Amino acid sequence: MDFEIPEELKMIQSMARDFVTEQLKPLERIVLGRAADLSDAQMYLPLEKERELMGMIKEMGLWGVGVPEELGGVGLGTLGSCLVEEELAQTVVPFSFGDVTPILFDCNEKQKETYFSPVLNRQKYPYLALVETERGSEIATMEMKAEKVNGCYVLNGKKVSLSRASKDYFAAVFAVTEPGKKPRENMTCFLVDKDTPGFTVSGGEEKTGWQARVRQPITLVFNHCQVPAENVLGEEGKAFYLGRKWLPSRRIVRGARCVGAAQRILDECVTQAQSWMSFGQFISGRPSVQAALANIATDIHAAKLMVYEAAWRADKGDPIQRLAAMVKLSATQMIHSTADNAAHIFNAPAYVGGLPMERFCRDTTAMSSTEFALQLQRGIIARDILRGLKVG
Amino acid sequence: MPLREQREVKEIEGVLNKILSTASPPVARCRLLSTGLNPGHALNITENIGGHKECIGCGNCIDICPFLFREPSRRNKTEQRTSMALESIVGADCDECDACVLACPQVDTTIKNYVVNHRMIEVMSRLEQRIGDEDEPDLDLFVEEALS
Repeated sequence: MDFEIPEELKMIQSMARDFVTEQLKPLERIVLGRAADLSDAQMYLPLEKERELMGMIKEMGLWGVGVPEELGGVGLGTLGSCLVEEELAQTVVPFSFGDVTPILFDCNEKQKETYFSPVLNRQKYPYLALVETERGSEIATMEMKAEKVNGCYVLNGKKVSLSRASKDYFAAVFAVTEPGKKPRENMTCFLVDKDTPGFTVSGGEEKTGWQARVRQPITLVFNHCQVPAENVLGEEGKAFYLGRKWLPSRRIVRGARCVGAAQRILDECVTQAQSWMSFGQFISGRPSVQAALANIATDIHAAKLMVYEAAWRADKGDPIQRLAAMVKLSATQMIHSTADNAAHIFNAPAYVGGLPMERFCRDTTAMSSTEFALQLQRGIIARDILRGLKVG
Repeated sequence: MPLREQREVKEIEGVLNKILSTASPPVARCRLLSTGLNPGHALNITENIGGHKECIGCGNCIDICPFLFREPSRRNKTEQRTSMALESIVGADCDECDACVLACPQVDTTIKNYVVNHRMIEVMSRLEQRIGDEDEPDLDLFVEEALS
């Protein structure tokens, strides 16, 4: 049994670590805000700065780490993506090495040119229009319909997207095309250009100050919006089969994100414990603080091993549904308990606005809304254990 | 905290099934079908509150609701932590998982046993539709993409 990370991946990990330390961490104040009342805090870096950083990553040959080579990415595989994500998660600066949702990996040649490549190069941003205000996360029962009329599709309905707003965008819209069929067989994904008649967008403005912490939803309204059949992504009625080869491993990469964030929390806790004094001694000498540090470190190590093993298996081509669910379940719980332990070490200062620590602790709570439905992950794991036993 | 002599489920099975099959948090109606507060657990006050069926506002149902866990913005709409608040903010979006019934200290154990033995398996199969069979896509992967 060899737990050693391959040499080339170690090198990429080291490059990512250096980039985060030298380039991203010094920019944290832009995101967190420099003003006394933090009124200049921003959600994203200024566009020019992002372009500059993107250029650096492209020069390093790491732009599009998780994107397959045939689509213009690096095609690093799950373990490589996990190692990079783990490093990127150690800063509050939102920046990726060319991350693109695998839903778009199924673009055909023409769509690749018009949509995918501009997305990879950050010339266009996709608005993932999946969720409806009325239905929430129950996407199987979405109401938006697309009717086939004279070889085109007419879209009618309203969607909400949490994608990043931009001037140049297109929407990847999920709509029901065959109402009589099962939810997994009746959904089609359409790529809708921003200037398409009948397609309007509102919201998503970039805010500053405390509002920069909250992602602003974008509302997409489709009113008799005509979309040509060539803009169907993948096959008609098979929207939920898009990116099938890659989507499950994204759960493992998100697990790596938790590991990275927890590692930064631990680093901040160590600095705090070694510099904060109470009753004449550094708090690092107190058994309760040492216990909290030990708990965090142990949790991180366990989660890291779990993530790496699952990623290694994903790269080998093993089935990973159960492992990915275990990673999601365990890593989400780990990051919560890490933030909890960190609060014990920091006492109040962890929640002083403007500290990277505060942002990390807040984001771990926010993770519970994106990494929701842990019960479903337990369901996946249990079903795999009880393989063959059908319920219901 | 219900009374020692609890509701016989056979007497209420019809209405209970109807309540549990309605897309709305069933905890309050299950509580009203229960026997109410056990006087042994009440404070020593002049009024005899034994048998009372009011919500005690413990907030267990709000904390356990998976829908509110997924959509915390709804939970933040009210400070109240009663079953009435749960019904107002969840409404017809209820997952029908019946977790609120199991978490409520005012619902009779007999009703909870019925829910576990006769209803949970049905809910699991409905929830499993979301994660799909081994050969079917997991819809939650798409929701995660949309939210993260």
